[in-house]
Amino acid sequence: MALLAFLTTSIVTTVLAARIRRTSEEELRNTRAELARFARVAILGELTASIAHELNQPLAGLVSSGDACRRWLGNQPPNIERANQSLERIVRDADRASKVVERVRGLAKNTPPQKAAVSVKEAVREVIVLTRGELEQNQIRLEEQFADDLPLIWADRIQLQQVCLNLVVNAIESIKDLRGGPRNLLVRAEKDASDSVLLTVSDTGAGLDSDHTEDVFNAFYTTKPEGMGMGLTISRSIIEAHGGRLWASGNVPRGAKFQFTLPRCREGAI
Amino acid sequence: MSLEPPLVFVVDDDASAREGIEDILQSVGLPVISFGSAREFLHGPRRDAPGCIVLDVRLPGTSGLEFQKILIEAGIRLPVIFITGHGDIPMSVMAMKSGAIEFLTKPLREQSLLDAVNAGIEADRLRREGSKHVSELRQRFELLTPREREVFALVVTGRPNKQIAAQLELSEMTVKVHRSQITKKMRATSIVELARMADRLGLSAEKS
Repeated sequence: MALLAFLTTSIVTTVLAARIRRTSEEELRNTRAELARFARVAILGELTASIAHELNQPLAGLVSSGDACRRWLGNQPPNIERANQSLERIVRDADRASKVVERVRGLAKNTPPQKAAVSVKEAVREVIVLTRGELEQNQIRLEEQFADDLPLIWADRIQLQQVCLNLVVNAIESIKDLRGGPRNLLVRAEKDASDSVLLTVSDTGAGLDSDHTEDVFNAFYTTKPEGMGMGLTISRSIIEAHGGRLWASGNVPRGAKFQFTLPRCREGAI
Repeated sequence: MSLEPPLVFVVDDDASAREGIEDILQSVGLPVISFGSAREFLHGPRRDAPGCIVLDVRLPGTSGLEFQKILIEAGIRLPVIFITGHGDIPMSVMAMKSGAIEFLTKPLREQSLLDAVNAGIEADRLRREGSKHVSELRQRFELLTPREREVFALVVTGRPNKQIAAQLELSEMTVKVHRSQITKKMRATSIVELARMADRLGLSAEKS
């Protein structure tokens, strides 16, 4: 009887414990996703001017092409061929503007992380575009290098984009106030020895304190007056949740270098 | 009078914006060549024609303002119309100070763009005619003998022949002969016109 009671209790306890663990793991996951979303929205906030610029360019094209189209049609005789060309550009530019909106909305949306086969090149390029105004305004030269043999990775596209945006925005910040010297930013993706994708974001900015490169990943560590100090902490947790690694080092001859790996999409996973 | 056909250059790294501007200008019959960067423009094909540059203030690599300086150093004196996607007031002030003829914000108002471009072409036409005229005058001036140049410099100050003769230790008759030679070679019809020519040639500074 005592034995039975003990067994029952321990079974109940085990089941309960498992349930509690499951709940708290789920809660933890939710909290993490929520936090990640906050950080994404914060980055978008920093990029408002840049995103506005990225929208304004196709809109400027649209307006001019529209004006031109009206003139081609008003000519005597109307130049239908040129008017059509203007219209084609109008459609193209409108499409470009709506893609920008789509990307921003994707980053701001509150959806649970969802993994799928992702092309790193495509995903990264989509968000780098959002920083273009910021790059131009600060006279920063961006170089993109994407290897031809990049494998697809198994990842949440939005979270991957978030990490990239975070690294690129940090790099811009570190170059922004420099006086003199090169103002370069490199984003490179390649395949590493273990068949993972290795992404590097390096800059010629102010750089890191070489003895404390790990500190930058600590929560609330920040060098920006308005920074929360969560960006890199969250980025690292995202990459680790994807089975990858994120680390920092010094860039030669100057600046900082952030790199992360993401395991390739395994056969059958697609 | 048939005018030399103009040529407008558009320099903007953004394809949507650049092609839109190109389209508007072409739709009113203006010949256009466009470039995606300052470097492309500097190394690209250019025809010597009256025109202007429609230039984005923010270009990757070289900013529009730096580019304007490079143009001046390279002796390219095309009027510049700046365009910007950011309503950037300090930069527009700098641009206007450095000699831009207009500063427009994207999206462009069609009429403002056309007005600015036409004003640019007109200004360039006048400048070119002016400098063509000066180089013609210079050629005529080259025909004068050293003595005639001396006399020329004094004639245009309005001094009477007698005084010039005394100053150069010549006879009054000789001065008269020089004077008619100068008028003929410079193809001037009056002293006033000669004086104006001297002015354009920058001789008025030399006399003192």
